[in-house]
Amino acid sequence: MSELFAVKFSWLIPLLPLLGAMVAGFTGAKLLKGRSHWPIWIGVGLSAILSISLLVGMLGLWHAGQDLTVAKDLYKWIDTGNFVAWAGFWFDPLTAIMLCVVTGIGFLITVFAAGYMKGESGYFRFFAYLGLFIFSMTCLVIGSNFIMLYLGWEGVGLCSYLLIGYYYEKPSAREAAKKAFLVNRIGDFGFGLGIMLIWKAFHTVSYFGDGVGTNTGVFDLAQAAHLTAYQLTALKVIPFFLLLGAVGKSAQFPLYVWLPDAMEGPTPVSALIHAATMVTAGVYMISRCGVLFFGNQAAMVTVACIGAFTALLAAVIALRQNDLKKVFAYSTISQLGYMFVGVGVLAPVAGVFHLVTHAFFKALLFLSSGVVMHAMGGELDMRKMSGLKKVLPITNILMLIGCAALAGVPFLSGFFSKDAIVAAAFARSNILGGVMLFTALLTAYYTFRLYFQVFQGPLVIPEAPTDAHGGHGGHDHEQKHNHEPMLMIAPLILLALGAVFAGYINWPNRHASFGDFLGQCPSLKQGYEVAKASYGEVDAAALGQRVAGAEAEAPFTPVMAISAIVAIAGIFAAYELHLKRRAKAEQLAQAAQPLTAIIEGKFFVDEFYQWLVEQLRWLGSKLDGFDKFIDILVAVVGNVLQLVGFMLKTVFQRGYLQGYASAMLFGVVVILLCFFANWNWLWTLMHAF
Amino acid sequence: MTTIELQHFLAVGAIMFAIGMIGFVTRRNLIVMFLCTELMFQGVAISLIAFSRYNHDMAGQAFVIFVLVIAAAEAALALGLIVLLFRTKNTLDADAWREMKG
Repeated sequence: MSELFAVKFSWLIPLLPLLGAMVAGFTGAKLLKGRSHWPIWIGVGLSAILSISLLVGMLGLWHAGQDLTVAKDLYKWIDTGNFVAWAGFWFDPLTAIMLCVVTGIGFLITVFAAGYMKGESGYFRFFAYLGLFIFSMTCLVIGSNFIMLYLGWEGVGLCSYLLIGYYYEKPSAREAAKKAFLVNRIGDFGFGLGIMLIWKAFHTVSYFGDGVGTNTGVFDLAQAAHLTAYQLTALKVIPFFLLLGAVGKSAQFPLYVWLPDAMEGPTPVSALIHAATMVTAGVYMISRCGVLFFGNQAAMVTVACIGAFTALLAAVIALRQNDLKKVFAYSTISQLGYMFVGVGVLAPVAGVFHLVTHAFFKALLFLSSGVVMHAMGGELDMRKMSGLKKVLPITNILMLIGCAALAGVPFLSGFFSKDAIVAAAFARSNILGGVMLFTALLTAYYTFRLYFQVFQGPLVIPEAPTDAHGGHGGHDHEQKHNHEPMLMIAPLILLALGAVFAGYINWPNRHASFGDFLGQCPSLKQGYEVAKASYGEVDAAALGQRVAGAEAEAPFTPVMAISAIVAIAGIFAAYELHLKRRAKAEQLAQAAQPLTAIIEGKFFVDEFYQWLVEQLRWLGSKLDGFDKFIDILVAVVGNVLQLVGFMLKTVFQRGYLQGYASAMLFGVVVILLCFFANWNWLWTLMHAF
Repeated sequence: MTTIELQHFLAVGAIMFAIGMIGFVTRRNLIVMFLCTELMFQGVAISLIAFSRYNHDMAGQAFVIFVLVIAAAEAALALGLIVLLFRTKNTLDADAWREMKG
């Protein structure tokens, strides 16, 4: 494993995007200008090649039946007393898959962005941030310990903040950036506490120590036969702290509110950070920490319930959104909810599988809506456009593929991955499965509502936009003759291929499926052991494990047929209401008042949070008053001393040189007397002061 | 005829120091005050040399050489300052500079 070319040069995977970011950031303003995408293209591209070679090499070793894990410590990063953290990498199938998603899709999106962002002011800044983001995200997935994970976790949060606020001259972008950062802070606070608790309980932050079998990492120690009472208690609460971080970063209820606002950022950013990669960090983290999560029934129930509730809530809100990107933002939240349900019902294979397919089709959808936005001069309101297939023929097909994959149309990628989660949810609880199935219906409906509204029907093109609208107006007049430049379409075609075919990597019952490959990861192997110890009976295949004598999975399950019907029903409803009889949709919505108003108000969660924050601010102002009182007390002490000093000054400091000399002499005499004349009482007196 | 012992040297040094000190406190003329500080210096230097001879240790004498050199440098500086002060106020009275009390 360690002799793989990609493992030997693995340090280049995070480093190259970082170098690209530095080159673009430091020379972009004066030297590179409109060519600032080159360092990022090269850095991320090489990094993607390395990642793919890592995955391919790993697949080869897997077929040869070799061990697929290796730890690679670069240098001792933090070394203070008994706390040691290495700058180290950990390779296993989960790492390889995540790296390919991050760098591969990241590369396609940087290519797209060069076309999309052309002529924007601060072009180099955009690409520098993008490179920094890829660096942080690769650190997050490649790290061999929780400190590396935390570094990446905070790094991607920072890049997300910077990129949401890219159009910082727009107040709404600034506010959205701040909101994303602050909401994530709540989650990261819990995450940090979780890591501290891990260190306090196990005295290490490394996942697996120096390598599998050395039994020095957190995950090995957590499974030890004899744990202290403190460690047992810590194991009960650590998953909840980590979960808080995951809920923040992956935009789950109750911390999902930042993601819709994050759409203020440029569209490639929405695609890369807020759909394909960063927001999936929570799912990655839970899968990675399988040992800590899968044996903890309370935590698993919480994960599944949060996921299911978020999936449903976001899907309902998406029904009445009219902004293209907002629909996809809520859809992302909803799909992340699916992934959480996947890991929550002990089916991390399904969760990570959905993560991969979702990365393809959601990036495709966002970038396609970016093309629409580009062509419409920054307009995103779907009520103002219709029948765009006539002006954007290629985008029409791409968008249709993306929407179909998201809706779960049979034999596209989303169908397989979503279905795996729904089936796993049904295996755990019928209510959970029912909620997921109903959400799938809503998903199909809102996705195709958007598609039919924007691309089908009579041609309506929004009026020439004012420059003030959107972040993207004003610069693309010269491109009016070609709405679909090749630079933007080519990456979309690759993503569309992924959206169509990515589902087949986990074709059920194949000897070498995605699940089996992922199951080679020690996180899942050990997770399976702890889950079995805690639950008794668990579905080994959902954790990528093979049990001797277990009957082979059927390639098609009844759940698949049901979810296919559900998807088609949703699409049909959208077809009826948003293509054939558009007026009827509004009538229905009006008939359902006040439900419609509540959904359009997004259940007033933002307003509730605002109210909550105002209450806290009130408390803060009271505490500030108390603080001021303390300040006054301190100031009074100071003032008294100042007054004494002032009086002393007027009495003793009078400007006579002789006076000062006499005082000095007097002091020397007193000291000498104390020493030589045995005036100990005076000495004691002075000590008393 | 008594021999000159250590205590005689020390007495001379102490007397010189005391004279200098009293002069510094009682006189107002800047130059005289400055001379008084020099006197105090030399009183201490005499004590050092006396101890040095008494203990057959050359360190004290070497130390005094340093003191003398520094005193010479300091004298040059201080006299220059006094000349400047005199030019400003046309007097050598230390009380003329009372407003420096801050």
